[in-house]
Parts: sequence; C-alpha cells; structure tokens
Amino acid sequence: MSVKPEGNVMTSSMKGAFARRFLASAAATSIAAGSFFPVATPAFAQEELNALVWCDHTDPALIEPFEKANDVKVNLKDYEGTGAALSILEQSQPGDWDVLVIDGVDVQRAVGLDLLAEIPADALPTADIFPEVRMEANNTKDGKTYAVTEKFGYNTISYDKTKVDPKDMQDLTMIWSDKYKGRIALYDYYLPMIGLVGLGLGKKTAELSDADMPAITEKLSAMKKVSKQVSDVVSSQTALATGEVDILVGGGEWITAALSGEKPNLDWTVPDQGAVRWAQSIGVMKASKKQDLALKFVQYIVSPEGQARLATSSCYWAMPANTKAGDHLTDAQKTALRWNDQAEYLKKTQLYPIPSAELDQKMQDAWTDMMQQ
Amino acid sequence: MSMTLEQSEQRKAWGFVAPALAWTLAFFVVPFLFMVAMSLWSRQSGAIVRAWNLDNYLAFFEKAALFKGLVNSLEITLIVTVLSVVLAYPLAWIIAERVPKRFQRMALIMAVLPFWTSYVVRSYSWLLVLSKNGVVNQTLMTVGLVGEPLELASNRTATVIGFTHFFVMLLTLTIYANLIQLSPNYRRAAADLGANAFETFWHVIVPLTLPGIMTGAFLTFVLCIGDYVTPQILGGNNELVLPQIIMLQLGRRADFPMAAALSIILMLAVTLAYVLCARWLKIERA
Amino acid sequence: MLRNVLISTASWVYATLIFGFIFLPVAVLVLFSFQDGRLPVPPFNGFSTQWYTAVFADRKLMAALLNSFVVALFSSLIACLLGFLAAYALARHKLPGSALQRGLLIAPMTVSYLIIALGLLTVLNAFGIPLSLSTVGIGHVVINLPLCFAIIYSSMGDHHVNIERAARDLGASDIKVMVLVTAPMLMPSILAAFFLSVTFSWDEFIIAFLLSRFDVTLPVEIWSLLRSGLNPKTNAIGSLVFQVSVAVLMLLEFTLFRKTGKS
Repeated sequence: MSVKPEGNVMTSSMKGAFARRFLASAAATSIAAGSFFPVATPAFAQEELNALVWCDHTDPALIEPFEKANDVKVNLKDYEGTGAALSILEQSQPGDWDVLVIDGVDVQRAVGLDLLAEIPADALPTADIFPEVRMEANNTKDGKTYAVTEKFGYNTISYDKTKVDPKDMQDLTMIWSDKYKGRIALYDYYLPMIGLVGLGLGKKTAELSDADMPAITEKLSAMKKVSKQVSDVVSSQTALATGEVDILVGGGEWITAALSGEKPNLDWTVPDQGAVRWAQSIGVMKASKKQDLALKFVQYIVSPEGQARLATSSCYWAMPANTKAGDHLTDAQKTALRWNDQAEYLKKTQLYPIPSAELDQKMQDAWTDMMQQ
Repeated sequence: MSMTLEQSEQRKAWGFVAPALAWTLAFFVVPFLFMVAMSLWSRQSGAIVRAWNLDNYLAFFEKAALFKGLVNSLEITLIVTVLSVVLAYPLAWIIAERVPKRFQRMALIMAVLPFWTSYVVRSYSWLLVLSKNGVVNQTLMTVGLVGEPLELASNRTATVIGFTHFFVMLLTLTIYANLIQLSPNYRRAAADLGANAFETFWHVIVPLTLPGIMTGAFLTFVLCIGDYVTPQILGGNNELVLPQIIMLQLGRRADFPMAAALSIILMLAVTLAYVLCARWLKIERA
Repeated sequence: MLRNVLISTASWVYATLIFGFIFLPVAVLVLFSFQDGRLPVPPFNGFSTQWYTAVFADRKLMAALLNSFVVALFSSLIACLLGFLAAYALARHKLPGSALQRGLLIAPMTVSYLIIALGLLTVLNAFGIPLSLSTVGIGHVVINLPLCFAIIYSSMGDHHVNIERAARDLGASDIKVMVLVTAPMLMPSILAAFFLSVTFSWDEFIIAFLLSRFDVTLPVEIWSLLRSGLNPKTNAIGSLVFQVSVAVLMLLEFTLFRKTGKS
C-alpha cells in the first residue's frame, strides 16, 4: 500500500515528462510548420495589391512600370474561366482581393454577387474605347459603372492555309462536315463554341434559348465525330503547329499571332456566318481595402501605354480596347493584331451567349456530354 | 512497479506517436469529414445552400457523362496498373538478380532519374513524342514499319502511355525492395527440393513478392485514378476521367458540393480496390 | 550455361528497352530545349541556348524553383521526423489501439491527392487561413507522412530490439537510443523515405495548384506557362531541373553513398 503514493509521485512526474516531451515535439512541429518557408520579405513594408486576373496580366513588362511608379507590389493570380474565379473568390476572405479581371459577359454575374465596386464614370477613358466594345449593357448596371473593357478578340477559325482550302474556311458549317474529318481540334470552352455552333445554325448568340438546345446538341455531336481532339490553349497550339490537326475551331489571333513568325502558314478568318467575340473587363473589388490604389491600377491598365503593353503581353496578343493604344504600338505589332481590319471583324462578330443560370447548366452539360461521346 | 514502468513507457510512446496522429487528424480526417458534409449540400444560384440532401449523388447516376467518367477512370486505371506491373516486375528482377550488387543502386537511380524533370513537363513531353510529327512516328515511318503516322497522341493510348511511364518506376522500386529482402535460403531450399529455376521463380519468388506487387499496384491505382494532369494534357479531352470532371465542377461552376460528392465517389472506388487487395497490404515489420 | 547466357541476353535486351522507354520523353525534352526557334517540335532547327537564358531571366520561374525546393525539403523533413517517431513508438511499444493508429496514419495513402487538396481547401477556408506555400507544405506532409511511416515502420525489424536493449542497459535514455542507435540502424530506410518524399513533393501538382496563391511551386508555374502556349522555355526548365538533379545525385553517389555503401 505504501507503494501507492510513491506510484503517484512516479506517475505524476512521468506525466510531467510526457507532457514536456509532447509539448516539445508539438512545439518543434509547429515552429517548423509556422516558419515553414523563409519567404523573402522586403526590408520595409511595401504596399501590396492583390489582383485576380487572366494570364496576360502576369507579364512583368506590363506590371513592373506600375509597380515602380507607385512603389507597390502587385500580387497576381491567374485563372481560366469565370467559374474558376468564383471558386477562388469563394475560398477567400473578403478583402483578400483588390482587382478582378473577368469575362465581359460575366460582369453582371459578378455585380449580382455584389463583388464589384462602382467606378466613377470620369475616372475612365470611355470616349477612347472602341464603341463596339464599350459594352454598357455588361459593364454598367442602373447607370453605375462597375467594370471597363480592356481587351478583345475572336473565337473563330484558325487553320493551316497550306493544308486546307481557305475558301472552305469561310463557311462555318464546315466544322461539322466530313471534309476535314480527323483534322479538326475544338477549343475547350463551351460558351464561345456553342455560340459558334449557333451562328452556324443561323442563330444570334444573344438569342440562344432552351428551344435551340436540341439542334445545338446534335451539331455538337456531329462536330465531335469529325474532330480529332477537344483541347485547351497549349494542346490546340501544339496540335496546329505539329500538324496533328489543320483546323482549330474557336481559335483566333490570340492563338496564332504568337506563332506567326515561325509558322507563317497559320492563318485565321471570320467566316461568312460570323464568329464570336470575346472581351475581358477589369474592375475594383467591392471588399477591397485599397480602393484608391486598385482604381489607379485599373486606370493604368486602360491607359494608352498600359493598353499597348497588355495587347502584346507574353501570354497572348489581342486587340486593346482603347483606340489610343495605337500610338504606342509599332506597325509590325499593329499588323499582327490586324488593327486595320477590326471594323470589319467587329461588324461580323457577336458577343458570347449570356445564358441564364439554368440554360448555362444545360450548355455545360451538353458540352460535357459531347466530350464523353 | 513493473506496471508503472510499463505505463511510463507507454506515455513516452504516446508522446512519440502523438505529433503524427495530430497532423493526420487535423489535416486529413477533419478535412475529409468536411467534404462529406459538403457533398450533402448543394449549390443553387451562386451560393452554397446548407440543406442536407443526396441530390449530388443522384445527379451522378442520372447524368450519363458523369457516370461515364467513373467508368473511364476505372478502365484506364486497371489497364495502367496491370501494364505497369507486367513491365516493372522483370526490370526489378533484373536489377535485383542480374545486376552486380554495387551497380544496383545506380540502376535504380537511373530508373528514377527521369522523374525529376517535373511531372507536368514530362506529360507535355510525351505529347511531343507521340504526335503525328513526333519522334516515335517519324522513326517508325523512316524505318518503314508504318506508312501513315499512328494516332498516338490526344487519346486514351497517350494517357495510358504517360501513366505507365510513371508507374513502372514506382513499381520497380516496391518490387525491387521486396525482392532483395528475400533470403537466398528460400531459393536454396526450393532447389534442394528439386525445383528448377522457373518453378522456383513461379512458386516461390512470385508469391513471396506478392506483397510488394500488391503494395505497388495499389499505390498505382490510387495515384492513377486520382490524377488530373496526365489525362488533361495527353487525353485530348476525347473522354473525361472523374478527376477532370471534378475539376470542371470547380473551374466552370464553382460547385464545391458537386465536386465533393464526386470526390467521395472516387474515394469509394479506391476503397473497393483497397478491400480487394487488403490481405496483401498489411504493413509487416521485417 | 547456355541458359544462363540466354537469360543474361534477354535481361540486357529487356532492361535496355525499358530504360529506353523511361528515358525517351526526357531525351526529347532535353533535345528540344536547345531548339533554335519558338517551336519545341520536330524538325530540330539547330542548337541554341537562348531558352536557358530566357529561363534564368524569368523571375517567376526562378522563384517557383526556389519555392519548390523549400517546400519539398521542409515537408519531407517533417514527414520523416513525424513518421520516424510514430514508427518507433508503434514498433517498440505496446500501445492500445495500435492497429487503428497504424491504419489512421496510413489512410491518406489510400486517398487521391485531389481529394486531400479539396478537403484541405474547404477546411482552410472555413477557418479563414489564407493560402500560401505553408498550406502547400501542410498538404505535402499529409501525403508523405504515410509513406515515411510505412517505409520506416516496415524496416524496424525485431532483430534491432536487442541492440537497442543493450544500449538501454548501458544507461542510454530513450531519446539517446533513438537518436544514436535506432536512427543510424534505420538510416537507409529513413533516407529512402526522405528522398521519395522529396520526389513526390517536388513533382506534386494538384495540391500545390489548389492550395497556393501568389507564391507557387514549379509544377504550378509550368502549368501556367503551358497555358500561355507552346514555348521551348518549358523544355528548358524541365531539362534544367533534370540536369541539376542528375548532377546532385551523381555527387551524392560518388561521395556520401560511396562511403556508407562500403561499410
């Protein structure tokens, strides 16, 4: 019996030892985890701006001038597809993001989710922006401006002109005919592609409705049958450049301009039925704690200098929205962008479809079904 | 006293195992439970609604494209697993048995080396190798084995090749590790009993290395069925596997509940595979 | 005798073929990293090192390279440490529910990375923890801990127990025994676990993709590079990593391992 108190002393000291050991190892672990990575921190706290953007904004040639002029660090995260952006935003805390670049047709979605802050109308060079891409219906709501168009281009037909008959490329229905069976790549983004199919069927992108889905589904399936692959940007480019395919449906200057030097045989056109026009908008996040700086960044991006750099940024080239960007572009750059042909292209092209949530779901399902065939 | 000593030993032991357990609980078990909960919610008009229901799971069975994703995943994973075992076993055996002891590590390092090039780049490199004008087709055509370039890229063949490339390395390692642990006594005993080399191999060596095979095969199954990069780069989107569909839910719809539900389904497939191989997967101490 | 020659020949042929298969994409990758021109596809236009220059000039790639290295190193160290401690406890002590504990520690190995990443993403968000390299590291420890534990645990043979007991009888404390006796005896498997962890972490994409924000690891940076189109820079960075790891491994092989191998 006399052992018992001893035993207790023993156990409690053991407990102490155990606790110490556990704490020590836990502390070691947490220190290791906490200080995990000696991330280089600037010597003095510099102001930072967090922007959720498309990949063309990550070019240092575009960002560095702004960083230097304002003594800030711009943190950039690039994404693909509005859904991905919304995922990222949902997985963030309010105030994490200051600037958002988003598909022009999805600005209203972002406004509906109360993500974007109002931009004072006089802060933007609206008068300098190509009238066709001002897109008031998209960028404004109830007379308030929430975003501004910064860059645009086309989802149309890219092809190898030495391997196909360029005349065939003027007819959009070629994309589901047997003539180029196995030589076609489809760009993997359902919205412009369904828009193109609609155009091929003689429907305006803005008027696509539930009733058109059966016909579209049928053509998607026909298109899949004659295609070689459905692919993202790099696979599409690889396929075109290596001769894996000769036609890319959904491509345009943004996919072939960068290759034009090496592969002069690659060309693109807007078919007679028309094609789809994409546009990206930029806005300030409503929850941002740095509204002024964020607006400054937006203003820089839509300024003539910023626009010229954005148009020729490393990820992809495309037309700047600001007409005055032309003053800062070389003639060679303007030729590659087909600056002088824009009036005609703008006339012949239509914006992405803007489906309701329900129709959007149907379109996505139709696209997924097509890929699984 | 011996009781207390044992107890004190136990406490120490708890101290050693606690950090690993805590890490696993906090960063694996808890997240997993979160996912299960989320898979029972749904996403409606841009927000996650925390109403408990099985809609996401029902949708999986109702929408053919989603269900087919699982079928594709299983088919590809099984092909890859079998192919990798069949290719890796002889290599592991050659390294363990035919390569002189002092060169064995070198041979293993050689087998692992290509995997230091970064997975994403490697997949993309296969795309260039397998394309119509790629090295393989150019060689075959120059040699005259084929007249027309083979359709190797942007389809299931490409995905399987890309996967098999990776898993042959993994399986070579696990099978090799098992082979060298075998005592030469087994072989001697088998020979004493009159078995020839093939019989010894088939009836003694293979069964004894079954744990290594199954461990590697199971690891292959898990990693392969959950991979997104290889099918995304090499498959040409001519068919979608389940991880691609899960990423689509995130990338196109921001639909976390649906992604969670599909993930749970993916996990059930893995669990099934686990149950099938469980008897070989015991972690034994040497 | 003849049969032996046949088996030898067959072995050589087979090994050559498989190694050919293993090295094929790497060889092509390295070759076209020296491509003179914008397209890393046949035909090979000529030799140029311009893409290596471009890689070194790319700040983002260089930062990603460093990030990957740091994440791989730290997450593997933590995974090995935790795995070793747990293996020691479970192999050398009788703990209640040890089978369950082993099962729990191994469990992440049976779950796809994508699922681990999604789960962590939702939880981190629920607790308002911002994404960073550390969260990527946490994820990598989750996937590597089971691996380290399993490798080290399965090499803890009972034949080592006597040596440990002898050390303890000579008055060494538990920690001392672990550090000075057990760990050195198990060094081959600890190193194996460590290098395998580094390899897995270095190459891991989906966790790093979903759990990082501004600072990203190399696979994620390469992914965005790829998205912007064809570019021999991708080949150059892949080859560079390959060449450096070959150099490091050779160095280790001829210095460190040579000694331990002979003892």
